[in-house]
Amino acid sequence: MTAGTFARPKIGPVLLLLPLAALVLLFFLAPLAVFVVYSVMTARLFAVAWPLTLEAYRLALTSPLNLELAINSIAIGVMTATVSVLCSLPVAYWLRYRAGRWQLPVLFLVTASMFASYLVRIYAWRTILGANGLVNRTLMELGLIDEPLGFLLFNWFSVVVALVHIFLPYVILVFFAALRPLTPAFLEAAQDLGADNLSRWRRIIVPLMTAPIVSAFLFVFVLSAADYITPQLIGGTGGQMLGVQIQTGFKAIGNWPLGAATALLMLIAFLGLYAIAQAALRASGLDRLRWAS
Amino acid sequence: MMRAADRSPFCAGMTGATLIFLYLPLAIVVLFSFHAVPSLSFPFAGFSLRWYREVFASAEFMDSVRNSAIVGAACALTTLVLGTMAAYGLTRVSPRLQALAGLLFFVPITLPGLFLGLALLVFFAQAKISLSLATVVVGHLIFVFPYFLLVARAALDRLDSALEEAAADLGATPWQVFWRVTMPQVWPVLAGATALAFALSVDEFVITFFVIGPQSTLPMYIWSSLRRTIDPSINTVSSLLLLLSLLLFAVAFALTMWKRPGRRWQ
Repeated sequence: MTAGTFARPKIGPVLLLLPLAALVLLFFLAPLAVFVVYSVMTARLFAVAWPLTLEAYRLALTSPLNLELAINSIAIGVMTATVSVLCSLPVAYWLRYRAGRWQLPVLFLVTASMFASYLVRIYAWRTILGANGLVNRTLMELGLIDEPLGFLLFNWFSVVVALVHIFLPYVILVFFAALRPLTPAFLEAAQDLGADNLSRWRRIIVPLMTAPIVSAFLFVFVLSAADYITPQLIGGTGGQMLGVQIQTGFKAIGNWPLGAATALLMLIAFLGLYAIAQAALRASGLDRLRWAS
Repeated sequence: MMRAADRSPFCAGMTGATLIFLYLPLAIVVLFSFHAVPSLSFPFAGFSLRWYREVFASAEFMDSVRNSAIVGAACALTTLVLGTMAAYGLTRVSPRLQALAGLLFFVPITLPGLFLGLALLVFFAQAKISLSLATVVVGHLIFVFPYFLLVARAALDRLDSALEEAAADLGATPWQVFWRVTMPQVWPVLAGATALAFALSVDEFVITFFVIGPQSTLPMYIWSSLRRTIDPSINTVSSLLLLLSLLLFAVAFALTMWKRPGRRWQ
């Protein structure tokens, strides 16, 4: 009665899903399964062999280099995520409540910048930072400094700057979307009831934004901690990361089980992090916080 | 009515600073692509098109443009067909299957590209498939289709299903309903999402790096130039890639916003 012919269970719509499902099974889930198997096989040069062994995991977990790179990756990921979240909050707030007729143009610019090529953005920072970069070269040619400024060299700082540049637009858009249901009237009511600027942030915006802030933080953390291109191009010696080690393990050294084991350990750590964040949000009840509309 | 604090000078300032931070580095890349001399620092020695002439004369560059176009087109068209089928199917299956398929279809973009690239590299090696542009297309498909699906599903969900039901009640076959009722309403969004898929594919590097054979795509060309030297010709290729990405974005934006004049992103 309600939906006429559409109410009958049909096989047709399910068939429509099959080609894409087959693509995902064949070229995503199957490769991941092969990858897991490779991590427990015996290493040969650019190949694997029997028997099954946990040797790669032992190597990955005991290597001092891996430990150092993992610490670097975590530090760079945390810094990138923190800076991205802290900078995006005021921007999203302004876009949502204060932008007026500037809202659409600024949203357009922020979204458009997401489409600026990933590699080109890292290259842009490579030409700006560094001992021979635009800033140091220009200052030296103008005679303002005699030797390159230390903090502008290729190190963890330049990696964080480039990664923030890549992820900032995503976080701004996520926060803007999260603020949408919170109408200006809501904040005005709080203001009329005597809440000053700070307490509106502290008692309304931040609690309501906790869940999006946590997801955006994790999103940026995971994607930047697993980046392997930025550190290679502008990481210098102090900004190297685990992803680079995994990549060279595969492409240059040829120890596939070790690379696979290291990557899978990283993946497990990320999944664990997601699970912990979910559990913490649920325990605090902040994931169920809603505003009346 | 508006008090001074309401104008949020801090938030406005942060927005301005953010836009400068996002665009200044790109502007510098474009500016130096026109530099008359090989140096990449100020003072600016004057404008010239020499790097553009040099780049367009390079057979290696033209090859990478052609490869990127082939991969992008193959990826975008496959995504259009398979993605439209899946998005259309998803609106018509049971909620349980919807949730399951949603999970299956969105897992690929929750993982960093490093993992997908490595897993595919190992998989192709195990299956004795040699790396080529075809393997790049496969890698891009897995990474690109979830975005297409997001856009396409949103458009299909907005449709008034009463129109389709009316057509069906009047005796239209499901095929006729799709082509004569659904498609006329959603084709601009699907075209926009296809442009998006093309843009994502042309720009993709993290996965491509692992699954490409001896050929080169535009980002791979930039990558290998970076390993050799740094001169304004890399800025030129980068500027061209930026221009292409932004054009595709503008097309995708215009098409997905089509027929909704005056509508805000609210």
